[in-house]
Amino acid sequence: MNFDLLFAKAKEKNIQDIQVHVVADTKLDIEILKGELEEYTISDTKGLSVKGIYDGKMGTVSTEVINDEEIDFIIDSVIASAKNIDSEDEVFIYGGDSIYQEVEGLYNKELEQVDAKSKIDLVFDLEKKTLAQDKRIKMVQAFYSEVTHKVRIMNSKGLDLSKEVNSATAGVYVIATDGSDQRTGIDYIQSNVFSDFAIDEIAKEGAKRATDALGAKSIKSGDYEVVLENKASASLLAAHVNMFSAESVQKDVSLLKGKVGDKVSKELISIVDDPFMEKSPRSGSFDDEGVATKYKELVKDGKLTGFMHNLKTAKKDEVGSTGNGFRNGISSTNFYIAPGQTDFNKAISSMKKGLIISDLQGTHAGTSSVSGDFSLQASGYLVEEGKIVRPISLITVAGNYLELLKDVTEVCSDLKMNFGYIGSPSLKIKSLAIAGNE
Amino acid sequence: MLERKLITKVLEEALTTNADFSEIFIEDKSQASASMLSSKVERVNNAKTFGIGIRVAKGFHSVYGYTNSREESDLLKLANDLAQSFPGSQEKRNVELGEMKKGSKHKIKILPASVDMKEKIALLKRADKAAREYSDVINQVMVNYQDYEQKVWIANSEGNYVHDVRVRTRLAIASVASNETSKQQGFNGPGGFYGFEFYTDVINVEEAAKEASRIAEVMLTADHAPSGKMPVVIDNGFGGVIFHEACGHSLEATSVAPGMSVFSGKKGERIASPLVTAIDDGTIENAWGSANFDDEGHPQKRRVLIKDGILNTFMVDKLNAIRMNDELTNSGRRESYRYAPTSRMTNTYIDNGESTFEEIISSTEYGLYAKKMGGGSVNPATGDFNFSVGEAYMIRDGKIAEPVKGATLIGTGADALLKVDMVGNNLLRAQGMCGSASGSIPTDVGQPTIRVSEITVGGRKAAN
Repeated sequence: MNFDLLFAKAKEKNIQDIQVHVVADTKLDIEILKGELEEYTISDTKGLSVKGIYDGKMGTVSTEVINDEEIDFIIDSVIASAKNIDSEDEVFIYGGDSIYQEVEGLYNKELEQVDAKSKIDLVFDLEKKTLAQDKRIKMVQAFYSEVTHKVRIMNSKGLDLSKEVNSATAGVYVIATDGSDQRTGIDYIQSNVFSDFAIDEIAKEGAKRATDALGAKSIKSGDYEVVLENKASASLLAAHVNMFSAESVQKDVSLLKGKVGDKVSKELISIVDDPFMEKSPRSGSFDDEGVATKYKELVKDGKLTGFMHNLKTAKKDEVGSTGNGFRNGISSTNFYIAPGQTDFNKAISSMKKGLIISDLQGTHAGTSSVSGDFSLQASGYLVEEGKIVRPISLITVAGNYLELLKDVTEVCSDLKMNFGYIGSPSLKIKSLAIAGNE
Repeated sequence: MLERKLITKVLEEALTTNADFSEIFIEDKSQASASMLSSKVERVNNAKTFGIGIRVAKGFHSVYGYTNSREESDLLKLANDLAQSFPGSQEKRNVELGEMKKGSKHKIKILPASVDMKEKIALLKRADKAAREYSDVINQVMVNYQDYEQKVWIANSEGNYVHDVRVRTRLAIASVASNETSKQQGFNGPGGFYGFEFYTDVINVEEAAKEASRIAEVMLTADHAPSGKMPVVIDNGFGGVIFHEACGHSLEATSVAPGMSVFSGKKGERIASPLVTAIDDGTIENAWGSANFDDEGHPQKRRVLIKDGILNTFMVDKLNAIRMNDELTNSGRRESYRYAPTSRMTNTYIDNGESTFEEIISSTEYGLYAKKMGGGSVNPATGDFNFSVGEAYMIRDGKIAEPVKGATLIGTGADALLKVDMVGNNLLRAQGMCGSASGSIPTDVGQPTIRVSEITVGGRKAAN
């Protein structure tokens, strides 16, 4: 598409400023099941989002039909959209920052140069090695998923930024059975360096997660000391990330409203949004508004320091944007609870009676970032005198997320990021309400 | 959208190696959405989607690719790349494309594209006003409007060629009630396979908005739910999400065919209480999950999944039918051209029984009445499910007592189905979005009021 023509026509129609956001993705997905290629998907797509200021309001449109014939549709849609908006919020098309921090290694050409066959072979190997770990493993879905993502932002104020990232995830989903009970486990590695995919490690860990859980039963209801494992903690944090968005605060749907400077968790806890994390496709030097991204500790030693902002929310609060303006709203980049000092095994061995919660289910439904209350299906292990006694399942764990952060007694050193680029180390928590079978 | 000749060429190119089946899915979709917050229109957006998906298979093994390009050279290259997954040289095979079939079961009176955005915005304003006026404790309301027209063309190497148009619209209202100590949200999101007539002929916008506020207000004063095992009465309508998650997904060929479902190999066996008959029906006129054809180009149909507690049929797509050596039930669905189709639900519900709502409540001495279910999920391999309850009350001495919040129901689908001990006569369906292997698709859930003799309720208080 001829963007100069688009910009010129927009000006003719009294669109004050206009910005285009072009995304081009190529993807490869491979899955092996029962020694056969279960899935092989390749794709090549391009999408265009356009926003423009008309009469003080921001109009938007998006399309996958990208050619010069679409220019009139784009301009008409931007105007129609802007005309119907009655929010009084000030809107911006940004001219750019003077400095953008360079982030190295976001795109690794070598990953794309590894041929499809080698990637398929890796997944075959992964399935085979996982099956070989234990006789009780009934089935393994091994997968490899790779994406190359190109972004370009251009606007009528002269901004022209682009980035290219690539990333892949290799992992296994394991089903184990002992005849009477069936359990699942998952493990994966995400990177853009092909040699990082340590398949022996993934196979071992994925298999262990499924087999260790065999024979899991419920427990007696009550309050238990809990070690919330890294992945489970990350999934719970993911359900509450919106609390840290200035948009939620300004909409009055964040529990953290008015709490900047207050203690919101134990001193042990720091929560970071890091756009410069290595090998993460979420990393980058600018956001969708063209603002330079920043590393920030939103919670520092238990104290709330601020919120994630885009240009609009920043203006309202009279602060600067934090470079979190993504997809017309606010999103985190790489968001995590900073790792602490405690070794995971030590956190377990110092527990008299308690639970390890290794998995939480239904976080999209059983949590509320408005109230912070959660009630979730969980599974894990019962610990007595510092030793794992047996696996547990079919329990629910309930509480309030802010109360949980205040009840953290130890932060482990085992930070793990999930698929949504939200991460946590394992956390030891004084007490959580567990509902079991009696 | 693509010339017949080009479609044929692409399907033939995909068969130049050892593959025995090829399929093309062309999608052209226009979507409009608008949202309101704090009584202000915040966002209005038009979106155009256009893309093409090509699937190539040998037996039940398949590969898939997609692109936004409609250029002949790009499409032929994609077809050829995919064909390379089935090495072996073949003579050129001709594809004879049949007449293009069209469906017309679901009538649309007013195409959304013909309605000015202003009229759509007016709905937001009406819903916002009604939701706020419902009660003083409602101090935030979010309303979202969405409509789309999805045109698809599906053709395969067997010569089947269909065109279908899916028009859907939905209005979603979230009301937040708050006092000094608590905030609670109520949600209601009616939708259907309709054009703009949905808002005059089918639903009352004000009533829909008030329902969201009613739930938020009730839950504001609710105490924490107790925990432990107890009888649970699950109300009609969205209560059917429990069947959808706990059993429906495990009856899809996607999990049955590879033997990952707890119901694999159980056709003809009792898997539910004799009171349970469950149906998946993609033909219900203008229902949210209906269509004329599935996304593999087969006519939609009605499937009796469970008959009087006995497993009758699975939901099966084309390739899984080969894999399972079972009957194809025309259940292939996908969100868009970005997904290969697989077996999915349409409008899935437990059929009417004989008890009245009053009989079910009055015969329950102590338990939980789950009036509005929230969302949930299930692990198809273990059948473990979890659901949040949006609006719940205790049942004491056969009467509905105080409201309780934060309840979660957990259990296994196989177990819960066997423990259904009362089924009401007030079947109702409600709308949801279902996420799975082939993306997020519209589905109806539904049931009459049912009672499960025992479910584990997870709350924050000890049972009393």
